[in-house]
Amino acid sequence: MSQTDLEIVVDDPTAPEDDSPSVVSSGSVESVVCLLLLALAAMLGYDNWRTGASWDATGPEPGYFPFYLSVILGGGSLYGLIAALLSRRKSAETFVTRAQAYRVLAVFVPTLLFCLVTQFLGLYVGSFLLIAGFMRAIGKIALWKSLLTALVFTAIMFATFDVAFDVIMPKGPLEAAFGY
Amino acid sequence: MRAAAVLLASLWVAPAFAGWEPTKPVEIVVAAGAGGASDQMARMMQAAIQKNNLMKQPMVVSLKGGASGAEALMYMKSSEGDPNKVLIAYSLIYMLPLSAKIPFNWRELTPVSVIALDQFVLWDNSAGPKTVKEFVAAAKAASSPFKMGGTGSKREDHVLTVFLEQKTGAKFSYLPYKSGGEAATQLVGNHTESNVNNPSENLEVWRAGQVRPLCVFDKERISYAAKVTDTQSWADIPTCKEEGIDVQYLMLRAMFLPGKVTPEQQAFYVELFHKVTQTAEYKDYMEKQALKPIFLTGKDMVQFLEEDDAQNKALMTEAGFVAK
Amino acid sequence: MEALGLLLHGFAVLLTWKILVLMMAGLVLGIFVGVLPGLGGPNGVAILLPLTFTMDPTSAIVMLSCIYWGALFGGAITSILFNIPGEAWSVATTFDGYPMAQQGRAAEALTAAFTSSFIGSLVAVLLITFLAPMISSFALKFGPPEFFAVYLLTFCSFVGLGRESRHKIVISMSLGLLLAGVGMDTVSGQLRMTFGSAELLRGINFLVAVIGLFGISEILLTMEERLALRGHAASISLRVVLGVWKDLPKYWVTLLRSSFIGCWLGITPGGAIAASFMGYNLAKRFAKDPETFGKGRIEGVFAPETAAHASGTSALLPMLALGIPGSGTAAILLGGLMVWGLNPGPLLFVEHKDFVWGLIASMYLGNVVGLVLVLTTVPIFASILRVPFAAVAPMIVVSCAIGAYAIQNAMFDIWLMLGFGVVGYVFKKVGIPLAPFTLALVLGNRAEDAFRLSMIGSGGDLKVFWSNGLVGSITTLAVLLLFWPAIDGLLARIVWTRRASR
Repeated sequence: MSQTDLEIVVDDPTAPEDDSPSVVSSGSVESVVCLLLLALAAMLGYDNWRTGASWDATGPEPGYFPFYLSVILGGGSLYGLIAALLSRRKSAETFVTRAQAYRVLAVFVPTLLFCLVTQFLGLYVGSFLLIAGFMRAIGKIALWKSLLTALVFTAIMFATFDVAFDVIMPKGPLEAAFGY
Repeated sequence: MRAAAVLLASLWVAPAFAGWEPTKPVEIVVAAGAGGASDQMARMMQAAIQKNNLMKQPMVVSLKGGASGAEALMYMKSSEGDPNKVLIAYSLIYMLPLSAKIPFNWRELTPVSVIALDQFVLWDNSAGPKTVKEFVAAAKAASSPFKMGGTGSKREDHVLTVFLEQKTGAKFSYLPYKSGGEAATQLVGNHTESNVNNPSENLEVWRAGQVRPLCVFDKERISYAAKVTDTQSWADIPTCKEEGIDVQYLMLRAMFLPGKVTPEQQAFYVELFHKVTQTAEYKDYMEKQALKPIFLTGKDMVQFLEEDDAQNKALMTEAGFVAK
Repeated sequence: MEALGLLLHGFAVLLTWKILVLMMAGLVLGIFVGVLPGLGGPNGVAILLPLTFTMDPTSAIVMLSCIYWGALFGGAITSILFNIPGEAWSVATTFDGYPMAQQGRAAEALTAAFTSSFIGSLVAVLLITFLAPMISSFALKFGPPEFFAVYLLTFCSFVGLGRESRHKIVISMSLGLLLAGVGMDTVSGQLRMTFGSAELLRGINFLVAVIGLFGISEILLTMEERLALRGHAASISLRVVLGVWKDLPKYWVTLLRSSFIGCWLGITPGGAIAASFMGYNLAKRFAKDPETFGKGRIEGVFAPETAAHASGTSALLPMLALGIPGSGTAAILLGGLMVWGLNPGPLLFVEHKDFVWGLIASMYLGNVVGLVLVLTTVPIFASILRVPFAAVAPMIVVSCAIGAYAIQNAMFDIWLMLGFGVVGYVFKKVGIPLAPFTLALVLGNRAEDAFRLSMIGSGGDLKVFWSNGLVGSITTLAVLLLFWPAIDGLLARIVWTRRASR
């Protein structure tokens, strides 16, 4: 059975060192999240109050449940906020290190750009650009490999969704030029 | 491949058909959830068109039942000038803008044709009262109001319930469910005493002997005389007027294109749906679901819509469902 | 014996070429999805769901459930070979599975995992087969109050039994319930929380949220943790398989215990995660030599895998019968049912016999075919991990976008998905659990409607939730579960004082 014990090692070519400085602590992120949720709760709570949040003859009005849910959400996040501020341990813990934040942004920013491109040029163009660009820029994979992979993947998606299953995706000027 | 095929097909057909033809798959937009009456009808038309080769491009059913159908209306409104989308509309086009202040007006769309009228029937559980008179008497005598199931709030079913109350003097509490199917099963389970479903929505449970039709809200009986259950056909159901409740309501099923399409595009669809109403699939469907066949287009249709709109508006206002 | 007849009918529905091909396709896609980092059962099913929109419901559910079985099998591959649990419930499998792989017994561990998954599912399917006919007669008893009580029970059990900080569960659940309420309110026909936006009119689709919360955020997390995999290659020979199978009878107690735990936790909303840990812990507790666990013991693979699969499978029963999903994937299948126009709930068993029994029959077939398929294709699937993550990540992003868009044909949903991706990433990192959020988003509207319909029916009288034995006992149970930590503490104190006074 020795042949079954080959080791597969998959490494990220961009792997950086581990002792990267902390960007932000868990405690502060938690406080910010709680603050945002509190603001959301206040906004939704106000909107539902306007819609009507009382209990009339036939039971609760449309805003009744959402209103009290926003109160609960507000309460929960207020509690979370206080807990996060008081906890010493949390405020020392690292949320992300600089290297981690960099890597997260390295996929988040392309994803954001992909959504933008999809909005204006259609999903298939976006998909091609995202895959080719990501493989080339982040993965440092040979250009021809990146382009080929992107083209094949996009073509398979197109054949599966738009042609075989009639699930129609957003399309832009390029597809229109081909009559789709 | 496909582009080539389409090109080839259009070359072939070009001499036969003058005028416009769709070049992309056509979307039938359904303003209701899956499995509802509109969806079933859309799928029937899709099948009829494909089987009889009435159109070169395929038809895709696109369900936009969000927000009680308002999603479909807003979608059509925002697709101005796009001739590859047809809406299968019903009375929501008058009612939703009134009850929920949706910024929509059917006059902004391009009317194609009215293809059917749908009936409403008063149903109760087969263990309940056997006639309308007994039903009304039982509803009046009940200590807590009878529960009436229906689809959605401040819509056809709800309006009918309000008028039933006015004409009979009995009190009902109206329970708005998400779909006619749900209203049907809740009636079977005895969680409501009655509902005012369309024939198609209660068909299966009627055939299973679990519910009983009491009367139909139309001035004449349904014309289909073929037996649906062991003993009864649609034509055996009395009208509500015969039974002493003068409430009538029919709901349109009509096709609309988005606004600002060309007259040629409109003409193509008028022709298409006219052909659909000639198919065996359509006729079969009409009978099975007890729909009233009708075909209106052009000026007749607009006139019908205006009158229908005015009537619905009056009903909604009287029922107190118009949002301030 | 009614069940057997119906089951045979179910097989008759399935045995067409089209369905068998879909089944194979589903299994392969599922294993693929289960092996890929950053995906997993629920996401895979959510992303592939649109493929099934144009199929008839029976073909669609067969394909989707096969994707699900495939993903379950696939999760075991990565847990054992790479020490990466594809799903939370595979975590316990890594405890002994990975050490076995390190000792060169990867093939043995994989065979054990696949076989026990198969046994767990089989026990659960047998249970479903014999319970399902009873459900249809029970079905019609469910009116609005009963439905509300069941939803309440689900919510309360999450708050009462959850392991995260209580306030975080409450935040997660109330946020989910709030977002579920956006759009048109069915009961009054009024719009709420739309702020005049036409995009928000149709509400927030939970599938879109799930794709963002799990798919996109998982990519962000995987990137953050830097993917450096060290794993073991493996191929399985018939000799190893037969060797493991020959030893199976020795472990019948473990297998039976884990199956039982799995079924119980799957039907009650405990879930597969709890089941796999409980299965593992009990096997360890009852073993004569518990210290050898964690060092590559085959029972340490059998126990959690059997329990996880038994619970994953039996979770489909409450989903079909009551419309309450017992797991994340079941929740997505539930969304699928609604798209195909099937109303999950007791009446499904009355109105759509073909569908229900076709699904149950597909559980048998899918598991058998899946077992054979994974045993023969492990090396191929394990090599997927050699594909650079830089190529896999953008493909997953594209697949997520396609999935999110196809649900309602709305560009807005792609942006929503991206937003939920960020929310999911941050929530996971600050320890706000996502499961209650998803559950609330799925059930929120139905629960509220059921409550308000009950109120209209009873004229605003809350006593309706105790108006008969059925609804009363469910409601009471829900309230008990909500305060379970307090009650548990109280009970413990009583026992303690008794002992002290003795």
